[in-house]
Amino acid sequence: MRKMMMRFGSFTALCLAVLSSCSEPPQPISISPDDFHNSVDQVTEVMIHDIFSPPVASRIYAYPNVAAYEILASQSEEFNSLAGQVRDFKGIPTTSDLQVNHELAALIAHMDVSKRLIFSEDRIESYQDSLYGVWSKANEAEFEASKKYGLEVAEHIAAWLDGDNYKQTRTMPKFTVQTDDPSRWQPTPPAYMDGIEPHWNKIRPFLLDSASQFKPLPPPPYSMDKGSDFYKELEEVYAVSQEITKNGDDSEEIQIAQFWDCNPYVSVTRGHLMFATKKITPGAHWIGISKIASRKADYDVMNTVYTYTHTSMAIADAFISCWDEKYRSNLVRPETLINEHMDDSWQPILQTPPFPEYVSGHSVVSGAASEVLTGIFGDNFSFNDNTEVPYGLPIRNFKSFRLAAEEAAVSRLYGGIHYRAAIDNGLDQGKALGQHFLNTLEMRNN
Amino acid sequence: MNRGLVLLLSFLLLASCKEKGILFDSLEADETGLAFENTITETDDLNIIDYLYFYNGGGVAVGDINNDDLPDVFLSGNQVSNKLYLNKGNFQFKDITDQAGVSGSSTWNTGAVMGDVNGDGLLDIYVCAVVGILGFDGHNELFINNGDGTFTERSAEYGLDHDSYSSNAAFLDYDLDGDLDIYLLNHAVHTQESFGKAELRFKRNYETGDKLLRNDGDHFTDVSEEAGIFGGVNSYGLGLAVSDFNQDGWPDLYVGNDFHEDDYYYLNNQDGTFSEQMRDYFGHTSRFSMGNDVADINHDGWPDLISLDMLPEDEKVLKASEGDDNFQILKLRTEQYGYHFQYTRNMLFLNQPGYDYAETAPLSGVAATDWSWSALFADFDQDTEQDLFISNGIAKRPNDLDYIKFVSNEQIQKKMESTRLMDKEALELMPSGKVPNYIFKGMGDITFSDESERWMKQDSLISGASALADFDGDGDMDIITQNLNSTPIIYKNKTNEKANYLQLAFTYTDKNRFGIGTKVFLYHNGKQQYKELYTVRGFQASSEPVLHFGLGTAPKVDSLKIIWPNGTYQTLSNVDANQKLIVEMQKTQPFDYASLLPPNNNLFEKVENNLYLDFVHKEDSYIDFHREKLMPYLVSDRGPATVMGDFNGDGKKDIFFGGSKFEQAQLYLQSDTSFVASPVASFENNKITEDVVAAMGDFNNDAKDDIFVGTGGGDFSNQAPALLDLLYTQTDSTLTKTVLPEIFENTSVIAPYDYDSDGDLDVFVGNQSVTGNFGAVPESYFLKNEAGTFQIDPVNPATTLGMVTDAIWVDLNGDQSKDLVVIGEWMAPIFFLNENGTLTQKKMTFGDLHGLWQAITAFDMDGDGDNDLLLGNWGDNSKFSASDKAPMRMYVNDFDKNGQTEPIVCTQKNGAYYPLEDFDELASQMVFLKKKFPDHKSFAGKSIEKIFEKAVLEESQLLEVHNLRSGYLRNDGESFEFVPFNNTLQVAPILSFCTFDFDNDGQEEVVAAGNYFGVKPYHGRLDSFSGTLIKNESNMIPGHLLGLDLGQKSVRHMNVFEHQGATYLLVTFNNEKVQVYLIKKPQ
Repeated sequence: MRKMMMRFGSFTALCLAVLSSCSEPPQPISISPDDFHNSVDQVTEVMIHDIFSPPVASRIYAYPNVAAYEILASQSEEFNSLAGQVRDFKGIPTTSDLQVNHELAALIAHMDVSKRLIFSEDRIESYQDSLYGVWSKANEAEFEASKKYGLEVAEHIAAWLDGDNYKQTRTMPKFTVQTDDPSRWQPTPPAYMDGIEPHWNKIRPFLLDSASQFKPLPPPPYSMDKGSDFYKELEEVYAVSQEITKNGDDSEEIQIAQFWDCNPYVSVTRGHLMFATKKITPGAHWIGISKIASRKADYDVMNTVYTYTHTSMAIADAFISCWDEKYRSNLVRPETLINEHMDDSWQPILQTPPFPEYVSGHSVVSGAASEVLTGIFGDNFSFNDNTEVPYGLPIRNFKSFRLAAEEAAVSRLYGGIHYRAAIDNGLDQGKALGQHFLNTLEMRNN
Repeated sequence: MNRGLVLLLSFLLLASCKEKGILFDSLEADETGLAFENTITETDDLNIIDYLYFYNGGGVAVGDINNDDLPDVFLSGNQVSNKLYLNKGNFQFKDITDQAGVSGSSTWNTGAVMGDVNGDGLLDIYVCAVVGILGFDGHNELFINNGDGTFTERSAEYGLDHDSYSSNAAFLDYDLDGDLDIYLLNHAVHTQESFGKAELRFKRNYETGDKLLRNDGDHFTDVSEEAGIFGGVNSYGLGLAVSDFNQDGWPDLYVGNDFHEDDYYYLNNQDGTFSEQMRDYFGHTSRFSMGNDVADINHDGWPDLISLDMLPEDEKVLKASEGDDNFQILKLRTEQYGYHFQYTRNMLFLNQPGYDYAETAPLSGVAATDWSWSALFADFDQDTEQDLFISNGIAKRPNDLDYIKFVSNEQIQKKMESTRLMDKEALELMPSGKVPNYIFKGMGDITFSDESERWMKQDSLISGASALADFDGDGDMDIITQNLNSTPIIYKNKTNEKANYLQLAFTYTDKNRFGIGTKVFLYHNGKQQYKELYTVRGFQASSEPVLHFGLGTAPKVDSLKIIWPNGTYQTLSNVDANQKLIVEMQKTQPFDYASLLPPNNNLFEKVENNLYLDFVHKEDSYIDFHREKLMPYLVSDRGPATVMGDFNGDGKKDIFFGGSKFEQAQLYLQSDTSFVASPVASFENNKITEDVVAAMGDFNNDAKDDIFVGTGGGDFSNQAPALLDLLYTQTDSTLTKTVLPEIFENTSVIAPYDYDSDGDLDVFVGNQSVTGNFGAVPESYFLKNEAGTFQIDPVNPATTLGMVTDAIWVDLNGDQSKDLVVIGEWMAPIFFLNENGTLTQKKMTFGDLHGLWQAITAFDMDGDGDNDLLLGNWGDNSKFSASDKAPMRMYVNDFDKNGQTEPIVCTQKNGAYYPLEDFDELASQMVFLKKKFPDHKSFAGKSIEKIFEKAVLEESQLLEVHNLRSGYLRNDGESFEFVPFNNTLQVAPILSFCTFDFDNDGQEEVVAAGNYFGVKPYHGRLDSFSGTLIKNESNMIPGHLLGLDLGQKSVRHMNVFEHQGATYLLVTFNNEKVQVYLIKKPQ
């Protein structure tokens, strides 16, 4: 599907190129919403290959979108710059070069900022090069002018994003496991990976005044007393897992759990043989839903990029907010406790991701993304979610973004990796954050 | 020269190097007739993803089945039929499988061993099989030798038809009833998805649990449970060694388990049962344990042991493969899940009689031999030292990091989803692991020299099971290897008459004709050699039942002591070399095994009640690696401080113990009968500090002992008050804190001395590190005492000497005033001459002695009346390596320009410098590396110059180490010369010296002690030093022979004190309870 789109795009461009060679004056290069979808998909694919953790992935989505959005918004009556609206952002340079095709420049900036943020540059480069080739044949002057401007903006955005503390957090202390306190998180099977991104709350958010602005209620206090709220939630995880396992792989709950797994790196060990199955991140899933919705609404380039930008910034801040809580409450995963106290051979249906339990990232991110998308497209916007098809999962139909978010949230209980409180409180946290984005940001005038 | 001739010559040269080694010729199937090929066929239903030991290969058993004095060869096949070859002499073999009836009927055969099961004097063949998974059918098969070239499969009759996951079996007479029992090694197939608790080993499981099978005459009885043999679902048994490890006359066992399950060390209780005592005798073991072997490599008459693992030597493979656990996971596995310390490399264990094993593989040079299966000790060149052959190779490297992270996903995912299988196409993408086999020459000083490229042809095979035999009867030991997807190789030993040998075979009893378990002590030219006869060695194999000794140039053996399994012995004298002697029991006498134990000349005796000193140092949980991931070792675990003095004015010596971070310091007052903890208010107020060192002295000239505490811990930074050192002065009956100059540093040494001769004690304060900036050098200080008040000495200002760890005041120039010697890490000893209170650095001429120095003391080593300087260094038994030619380097720079420096330690390999840390660890600190090297393949094998830009390296701070060996600076009057200690003192860092006349001979001696655990898992734990009593240059006695128990513990301080008229030694450890020894003072 994706490949066909790309070919179709290239084909159009090729026709243009052929046309232009017939000594006619060169035609303007036309950029479609699909060109942006493709560029975003490209980033997704490279991120899967490079294995970015969910918080880092959310950052990689957001900045390229902002670059593209700013170029497009500068030419639009209907849309406003984010300058002064998001933190430390003072806008982008403008251009007086009339040759510049702003949609093309926006796409070039998108690709260039993306390339800076991922690791495997060659993958983006080869994609970029093939497009550059087509465009320069089609209309060299327009392409060169747009490229120059696009890259200038990319450079500008890069300088801004460089100040978000990402680099500094790389050398901050590793998370130290405290094994003497049973309530605290510890690494989980099979890879027993270190807790990832323990300092993500020090990343500069886009909109939040601080990582703790939407601090959720604390989880029920840790207790292994049978009657305690915490223990009851632990029992629920175990009971639900036993129940749905009995019903088999085709049960609705297991289907839901697997559909929303969104684990970028599931490690599998068979003796000395190890391998990984890699999927998109939860943020990427909602980026995928943004694409589906934009397409269904038949959005133009400007509105498409707006949708991506608004949603991806909310997702990025949602991760900061969520991770802030994760390493504050530092709560042990159900797998650790169930193995210790209830069933030493129990395995969750999904592989437990390598960071503390509370709150659920799926809840916060889905809550935030669904609110923003509901704000953009309206409630009761139904859609067929085919985001996970490339990873061997089926299409699921949702009547609204909010219902999808609720399903994403509860999927983690089915998966055996979250307690109820993390799911419910996380969803509230995400929704509040999403509402804050809608109420605060003035992007589209309507 | 004619170009064609050059070509021809180089071709000839090349050809001759390729086909032949100096010591061995490689004989292939077309020469030997050994056409057996263990072909492995991967199918969609059966491959490495379905069966974790798919590439482990078959077995090889060697022995003379037809009593023609020529060892014959049996080879078992995984998916192909077994083969039996008769040795026709001159390395010619004839396939007699069909006639013999030994082709076997199990689906998947593994280990193969020969032994006389029914006591008829003929070698039978026992073949193990994996049965019960993946449709594998059959059972272990016992081919009883009919003596006429035919065999009959009679496993059921003997109760040996086990249908479980067997990998090997060994013959031993564990109950000394005269017949041969069997230890059956099984392997787990547990999915490895989680560790599971170590207790799993107590729950017996038929398929995976090892079994002890007692020979009851006409059948074998499974006595595993009652004998105390573990049989859990977790035991990935691949290695099996039988030996009387503790020399009590009863055979013991070492079982090597793959993955996270600990290896097992079964000591024979002499009553039909075993006790597993791994933890008591081994500080750490190999992690992915494979084959192993036993031999006495240091001529002390005790069996030593090697256990193989899979650490690659080649940088290109090393850095592209999954390596050791990180510090935290190891902690989790040991502390939460109950496993012992295991590390991914070969382990060489030296048996320390009556004590634990010292592990010396890095020092000995045999730590990394890639994916290794079989180890075989033998004196191949017959120079009297044990050499070592290691077979290795793997068809596909499933731990290749790029495969795991980048390739596997796309390739496997689609297949897994549809069929849960992995297809061949995906397998093809795994890199091959064909590596030449290794052979090492024993050097006689517990080290080995890698002769792989010289002694034998470099193969490109996957060699697994291997066995020793003298195939051509010329006296030297040949080797046979079974190879995956290829025919066997015989390494024909060409030592011949270049050196002398003696072979011994035995005619023992009817039930054990070959004398399995017989021991031989052999003496020639004042040298002792020791061997015992167990044929199941290496991996999935058994060797010829002979003992082979190399004799060098000795034409004869002075004497031979042969100890039979029944505990009797006989002696042979003046035995000629170069023969195979068949020994029968004659004129035997009972052997006294106690005579093998080292004589009891204990100078030290552990005090039962520890004199009520119950101080247990508890290290805090701070881990430096979490803040500075690339630090080469911790600095936060250098405490606790210990100092003795009369701190309550009652005339008796009391003890001050420093606390770790947030742990209060402790004062123990000496009473008439014991030590009593006594609370001190000022200690409680300062519990936040980490008290690393302390010195006693009368700092305020009131004739009472005070305490000067140096604090640090590597955690507090900048102007943290906890970094301020503490001075506790004795006032009235308590200790109160007194103000000191504000010096915010991680202190490592407090050295008091009245260097300005004004009648009060001044202090040198040495500092080690700058928190958060490892490699940066802090200032060290001279504090001048003015009437009890310290000030930074204006005459001797603060100075950056290095990462200081210790210092000593000692008179070097005989002017009656003491001079100062300062040592530390990444620095050379620095000498300050004291000229009327002015301390001036003096340039020394002893060569470049940049080391990781840890401790210094003055002692007259050579008895010439002047002070030599004993220096404790890091030792040679870790991944660190350094020499003048190839110093170890540390580059310190803010490589990623984020305001935080990174220290990158590199060592030299084959002329280039490589970082010790792997790619993921480096890239986790410097993300830009992930852009520069998109996969592990592109990073692996890159030297530091290829990883970073030249300019960046040039602007980095460069620190070096030229020498890691402990030793002493011999004072030759005008100059000093560094003399390293011998290898037994280089097995771990030496952290502490203590001088006293321990043996009451009127001369002082020094006890040196150490061990250090603050290193990353790729080093292993540096735990193998049991201390040494140094009497003089040539007389040094290991601590375990004197009653000291310092192995596997990290010593920080040793203090001698008097109590109730007796003299004691107090030993303080990091993270451990203190020990008190009575010094027995022999008359």
